[in-house]
Amino acid sequence: MASLAPEPTAVSSTADAPILRLGGVTKRFGGATALDNVDFDLRPGEIHGLIGENGAGKSTLMKILSGVHAPDEGEIALRGEAVRFASPAEAKARGVGMIYQELSCMPQLSIAENVFLGRQPTSGGVVSWKAMRAAAAEQLGSLGLKVDPRAPLGSLSLGSQQMVEIARVVFSGAGIVVLDEPTSALSGPESERLFAAMARLKAQGASLVFISHFLEDVLAVADRITVLKNSRKVATLANAGLTKAKLIELMIGRDADALAESYAATGIDLPPPAAGKTVLSLRGLEAPGSFSDISFDLHAGEILGLFGNLGAGMTEIARALFGQVVPAAGEIALDGKPIRPRTTRESKRLGIAYLSENRRKTIFPRHEVYKNISLAHLDTLLGPVLRPGPEVAIAREQVGRTGVRPANPLLNAGNLSGGNQQKVVLAKWLTKRPKVLILNEPTRGMDVGAKREVLDLVKALKAEGVAILLLSTEPETVLAESDRILVLSRGRITREFAGETVSKDRLMEFA
Amino acid sequence: MAQQVPVGAPVGGQTAQPRSTGSALDWASRNARLLAPLLTFVFLFIFFSLVTDVFLTPQNLQNIVTQIAPIAVAAVGITFVLLCAEIDLSIASIATFTGVLGAFFFVGDAVALGTWGIPVALLIALALGLLNGFLVAYVGIPSFMMTLAMLTIARGLSVYVSEGKPIFDVPPVLKALGSVSSQVLGIPVIGLFALAVLLLGEFVLGYTKFGRYVYMTGANREAAEMSGVDTRRVIMVSLAISAVTAGMTGLLFIGRLSSANPAAGEDVLIFTIAAVVLGGTSLFGGEGGIRNTILGLLIFGILNNGLNLLPNIPITFKQALQGIVLLAALLLNVFALRIERVRARTE
Repeated sequence: MASLAPEPTAVSSTADAPILRLGGVTKRFGGATALDNVDFDLRPGEIHGLIGENGAGKSTLMKILSGVHAPDEGEIALRGEAVRFASPAEAKARGVGMIYQELSCMPQLSIAENVFLGRQPTSGGVVSWKAMRAAAAEQLGSLGLKVDPRAPLGSLSLGSQQMVEIARVVFSGAGIVVLDEPTSALSGPESERLFAAMARLKAQGASLVFISHFLEDVLAVADRITVLKNSRKVATLANAGLTKAKLIELMIGRDADALAESYAATGIDLPPPAAGKTVLSLRGLEAPGSFSDISFDLHAGEILGLFGNLGAGMTEIARALFGQVVPAAGEIALDGKPIRPRTTRESKRLGIAYLSENRRKTIFPRHEVYKNISLAHLDTLLGPVLRPGPEVAIAREQVGRTGVRPANPLLNAGNLSGGNQQKVVLAKWLTKRPKVLILNEPTRGMDVGAKREVLDLVKALKAEGVAILLLSTEPETVLAESDRILVLSRGRITREFAGETVSKDRLMEFA
Repeated sequence: MAQQVPVGAPVGGQTAQPRSTGSALDWASRNARLLAPLLTFVFLFIFFSLVTDVFLTPQNLQNIVTQIAPIAVAAVGITFVLLCAEIDLSIASIATFTGVLGAFFFVGDAVALGTWGIPVALLIALALGLLNGFLVAYVGIPSFMMTLAMLTIARGLSVYVSEGKPIFDVPPVLKALGSVSSQVLGIPVIGLFALAVLLLGEFVLGYTKFGRYVYMTGANREAAEMSGVDTRRVIMVSLAISAVTAGMTGLLFIGRLSSANPAAGEDVLIFTIAAVVLGGTSLFGGEGGIRNTILGLLIFGILNNGLNLLPNIPITFKQALQGIVLLAALLLNVFALRIERVRARTE
């Protein structure tokens, strides 16, 4: 069966000669420099972590490695030979494979078909299914995934789908694999499995670039780590002896102690339950297949954290509150009155605001920031005739309040970094003070500084009396600001933490 | 709050500032969507002015306006639909059907409504548009398939109502509107009517909440939904608007021709969509607008007219030539937008 797939590209005999080397790479977009004279080298059989804040140049570097962009200056050497990738296809043909944050698999096709996407083995023009399935099973097995290759890909968990994608890239002959934020959508055990698979690939001689915001993850698997900051390289360091605090210091150059708060690992004390007015109350809410028996109260001026792994049902609860799903059973009451929103518009009018976890579903990249911000409350903010003046003024105020940078509401939202796009989406819901603000992974993919800003803003809203529901699969985010915490697992509430000491371990215990 | 950013202050920091300079090239690439059709228009205008004798005469310019005016009205509706990232293939059939109905009610063999037949015919067009819209937005039939079915239905109804024969009498008000000789200050009235509809479209799309919802729904329907926009209603209303403007086009046509022919008007669909897309409105929604549509109509009108005036070109080759020039204009659009896109890509 091995004959079906090209072997991962042979490792160069000189152990430390880089398999891929970037020298003095500079990339500009318009007048902005996205990468400034950056050197980067990848050794055969190593996992190379790449970290930096949002906008530091990670994505640009990755796109240059994968042939999406060509550098303006500098050179790329692959196995000692100068190359210039004209397209991602060319990079792929030279053995550089990409695993993007958003998976590019076909969920309706079978697992085997996905592994062999675009290069099904044939005999006499007919796809040889048997050979294909066997080879796919073998390849996935070598990554530690035991599945039926005939099952549709969509039936797997997100983590397993990612594994299939990795198998596809490796199987197509990539000796160099670039992984962009591969753990951001994975649960703890799934991440562990991914790391094991990465270690196996490394043992087989593949070289991996691992881009991540999760510094623990990078520290757990990387051999060396390159830190980017403000489009420049700060350092490339061997992992041995590095700490998270040290990495944070290198990334942002600020005092790392100040950040300990948002990364509480030792445990925090939840405040004693306050007797705020009940704003939102759920009783026995149920949606088959998503969640069941969900009951809780949310008070004015309170942040209620919801913690659980991916697939615990938190997003579905949020969608039910925002009128996107009508629950099969149970009751929702807002200010004591029963409600049953059926459209997002209805929920919005009731004073419920929802910040979705999926940025692609919330931002209008090719429209101005001010149009992004004014959209949610356009019907009540402005008079019958839209004029740019007042609209931009409102947006400018919100941009200032949420700390969007650059603070220019006339830019297209797509020109902002991911963290700033998220702030724009938050700003959209603050043009009118909501009664209930549902935040689903509000800080995911944000750098430490932006995270702090968003959480401070949430605190300020809480002080104004907004009832806030904070959903996250990152324990740090929930621990950072919550007054009470509910842990969900498989669609049910498994534990409520209130007025006690709670730590990351305790949360994960019930998830 | 961690940091209050002073409003309007220049902000540095780690986020790359992509729009740095105000150079002419910068400006041009940012406005590529309007600039490319504008250049095409200017080029064609100068070209035909120089190469032909007749092009730049008042009579000929009036002709162009009269020819393009009915298409312009339907183009307004199609602009709404394309901005929503939907399509309406039924406009030509709805135009013909509305025209046939207008004449049918006027002649009054079966139902005599006289001139009141005009608003009734438009209401029927509206009903068909709402049906399109309801089935697309609320039931979930793709607009391509739904409006294809409607195309057949409306065409069939035209034949049924007219018994397959042209009706040779139409309301005088439509005749007066459609005639080249009805002019105000040398501008055909039909052109002024079309201009009024275009301006109304520009107002609704550019300056009202509904217009904004149209753009945002087309740009990213899910994000619009997540902002509490009732995207289904937006799509339904856009398809209804498209049917009504198509109906007006049909009525203008019967006025210009002084008869309603159930077999005519098939060209309207291709002409309208071609003009709108030529103007730079995206087929994928969210970008473009009435300004683009106006430019597209002008290009289309000049091209249609100017090619007929060119000497030494066999008449039989005209249509192919027209297609080739259209293709060239579209290529120019695509290249211009590619420049814009490359520039807009930051990290």
